[in-house]
Amino acid sequence: MTSPVTFAIATRDELRLRGRLAEQRLSHGIARHDGDAIDADDSRDDELVVRCDAEIDGLRAAAPIDARVRLVASARRVANTTIVSATMTIGVDGLFVVSDALHAAEDAAFLRSLVGQALLTVPIDYHELPIVWHRGSASVLLHEAAGHAAEHEHARLEWPSWLSVRDEPLFAIDDIGNRTRAADLLAGEAPSSLRRESFRDVPLRRMSNLVVRGNAPFEMPDRRIDIHLLAGGSYEPLDETVTVHVAAAKLGERWLPPFTIHESRAAVARAINGATGEPRRSPGVVCSAEGQELVVGSSAPAMLTWFR
Amino acid sequence: MKEIYRKRGRSVRWENGHVIRVNESGVAIENDERFVCHPDPELASAAASLMDVGRVASIAHAIQRQIPNGIRIERLIVSEGEAEHTFRDKSWRDTTQRIHLALARAHTRVLIDLGDFEIDEIASIADALARAEENEGAAPARLRLAGNVAAALLPSLVSVAPPNVLLSQHAGGIDGKGEAIEAAAGLWPNWYRPSYRVRPMRAPFNLAARCDVSQIDATRPIAIALLAPPEELTLRVLVLDGERVYPATVRVTRIDAIAEGGRWYPYGAGTIGAEIML
Repeated sequence: MTSPVTFAIATRDELRLRGRLAEQRLSHGIARHDGDAIDADDSRDDELVVRCDAEIDGLRAAAPIDARVRLVASARRVANTTIVSATMTIGVDGLFVVSDALHAAEDAAFLRSLVGQALLTVPIDYHELPIVWHRGSASVLLHEAAGHAAEHEHARLEWPSWLSVRDEPLFAIDDIGNRTRAADLLAGEAPSSLRRESFRDVPLRRMSNLVVRGNAPFEMPDRRIDIHLLAGGSYEPLDETVTVHVAAAKLGERWLPPFTIHESRAAVARAINGATGEPRRSPGVVCSAEGQELVVGSSAPAMLTWFR
Repeated sequence: MKEIYRKRGRSVRWENGHVIRVNESGVAIENDERFVCHPDPELASAAASLMDVGRVASIAHAIQRQIPNGIRIERLIVSEGEAEHTFRDKSWRDTTQRIHLALARAHTRVLIDLGDFEIDEIASIADALARAEENEGAAPARLRLAGNVAAALLPSLVSVAPPNVLLSQHAGGIDGKGEAIEAAAGLWPNWYRPSYRVRPMRAPFNLAARCDVSQIDATRPIAIALLAPPEELTLRVLVLDGERVYPATVRVTRIDAIAEGGRWYPYGAGTIGAEIML
């Protein structure tokens, strides 16, 4: 940040409980950067507010009415470029996905299909079985193991040669006006974008849109854990460990109780055994760092791991 | 019933080398079960600001100077804020000071949160971290919790405190609906509203713990700092035990004594941290 930069943002968010509006917030402001100094206030940029209103109308129309739904529409402008985003978090019976207007119906139906399933009561050790990551969920594992490690500029690891994990921003300009570019996260490149949640925040180097690719076909193991939905994850930079909370997984025809995978990122790299198919959108990731929550796009093919 | 709350405030913070000044104002409206809030630039403050960018920067630099070689400052945020509030026919004003510090050495991270700019205890914690063993040690059977550690534990004790411990709210300050915060125990009469964007909730302010016994055995090992936020009654702490310093995990199952007095810390709506003997 060498020359002064002005960043403007407007955000609308709503919480709807079974179709009823419970909370509604509007936030707007402008931050002016000069070197390491930021002056921010809640000035209103009418055009950004209008863009937010249009986006949240679209979210409202698509929001399921039998769920807990949080709608967030945001419009930001830096260097004369306006970027708009709109997401909704859908919750059904304690299970959550981050979705958008286009996928809300499909994602809500998926959540409903998970509710009320009888759970296997015998404890399982995920080390004893191969794991197949469905519905793009492997992107969350690699968001933690490769993406956050790249943000922290941690040393490169030996990953499968067929595997690609890239941050591919969907916007041309980041939150301080720099042009974005794709980053090869396995090759030690950090994400290019500096991002921020609001006008009050310091921009940080963060992932924007993580895409996992790779074609290493595998035979589907007869006895395996099938992961369908994650509840979140984290990366501990001090010891380079990854934690992933599994919300919905099956062993054969039986659903498993929620469990947690906790491994070093080196163990994650060793565990990856195969991948097949095109990258599939994962219900997005709300990534929290330094108290700032940002949505990160995530997609991955079906992937096979075995933490032996 | 419709309730309208207005706030205008200014803050300045030093965050990992950046200086951020924020000036904002807003209104929150609660109408039965619905909460709505938005900025309200009409509320821009006419009062002269008492905040000083130089002060937060100088505190940050003073903290940096206290950190010995081999210890990395992972995160340092020093902030100061002032706000004017209006709710119904009541208006009031308050100021805040906060420090959040995360220090790291190898695989160990220490967390320090302070509600004022008294930074003396940081140096001793940093020095201890510099000579800490890497491996986790067994928690001593009898242990003291320093005031900063005890302060973080108090919110987890609400509803589960052992019978010899009384948790209470100390009087002082104004709550999120303009009412004076009075001494209370058991039921929490006041409303916590950390921002106009947050729906107010009932919470204990200035939460303190008292025990029949206040005599502390100063010869016992002491947990001098948190290594992670408390998980209910389980604490990961840095233990100072004679010449040894090591990480340990402590499950609080009994409390033998709590010292009198204590310092205010910014956990929840505020806690009073006094030394606890387990």
